[in-house]
Amino acid sequence: MTERVRLSRLVQVFGWTGLTSLGGGRSAYFYDAVVMRRPWLKSHEFIQDLTLSQLLPGPSFANLGVALGVRLGGWRGGAWGALALIVPGALILLGLTLLYFHVGFAPNTTSAMHGMGAAVVGLVFITTARMIRASIRGGSALLVAAAIFVLVGPLHVNTGLAVLLMVPLSLWLHRPRSGS
Amino acid sequence: MILDLARLTWTFLWLSLICVGGGLGVIPELQRQVVDRFHWVTAREFLDGYTLSQLTPGPTMLVSIFVGYRAHGILGALLATAAMFLPTAIITAVITRHWATLRDRPWARAAERALAPIGIGLMAAGVYTLARTGIHDWATGSLAGLVAAVLYTGWLPPFLLVLAAGIIGWLAGL
Repeated sequence: MTERVRLSRLVQVFGWTGLTSLGGGRSAYFYDAVVMRRPWLKSHEFIQDLTLSQLLPGPSFANLGVALGVRLGGWRGGAWGALALIVPGALILLGLTLLYFHVGFAPNTTSAMHGMGAAVVGLVFITTARMIRASIRGGSALLVAAAIFVLVGPLHVNTGLAVLLMVPLSLWLHRPRSGS
Repeated sequence: MILDLARLTWTFLWLSLICVGGGLGVIPELQRQVVDRFHWVTAREFLDGYTLSQLTPGPTMLVSIFVGYRAHGILGALLATAAMFLPTAIITAVITRHWATLRDRPWARAAERALAPIGIGLMAAGVYTLARTGIHDWATGSLAGLVAAVLYTGWLPPFLLVLAAGIIGWLAGL
């Protein structure tokens, strides 16, 4: 596998992405960093890694960092990319934890979090819309995406169960056909 | 103490293994284990720790640092966090690397086409879940719409908008 991006550049961008990914829906920050702002990945390649990171066990944002790092920089890209993504936030949280337990700092930030939470909804919405536009081709893909959305979103079906139900159906709908 | 450290490590390890489709789904079980079962943190501390992890950049599951530190200091924080991230990162790296060698085969291409809508559907469900908790009145709805519109133009990077929205929320008392 060819390494597409220099390791130092990868660490720099992943570190910055880790450091600036605030609020929920953090995968959207990666999409902005490696698809929108830099020509490192095509949208469909990002979606492949995003999907893998969601289907595999573990925190999906960290999994996504590993998957993108491996794709862009091989084993070293995966390892250093993941560290660059996680360590800055980990150190900040450790600092806040020390303050919390030893100084009595309490996170009374409800209003700020409400503002950030609303902004993240806008961010994740626009990112998802971009992905749908770039990658959903054909009725069967739309059907599968809509079914997963309804099951996990409005119907609150357990994510693992919804994935178990829909993966076989989607594999069957997208099976290789002769001549394709 | 060593037994409890092992228990802490094991708890975060198996929680990471049942964490599929994002961290949100595992939070109730995490709370049950660390608050109700092992009493490493109180319910109030857990809520504060989770809030801190959401405020902090990086993965939300870094809440392992908070719980691990409360239970066994720096060593506890290190072990809980390594257990939460390391094994699943190795699994992801091995599978991603191996998958890259198979990617050109017709069945692998078909599988990727089949799995992409699953990933997008999960992402869309995430928008729904975030919107249900993040949008509760016209002010937060307008803020979300404004951020989406500015992001669409690409004028500003996302983190600046989210940070600005946090400041607006704080000043306006949302």
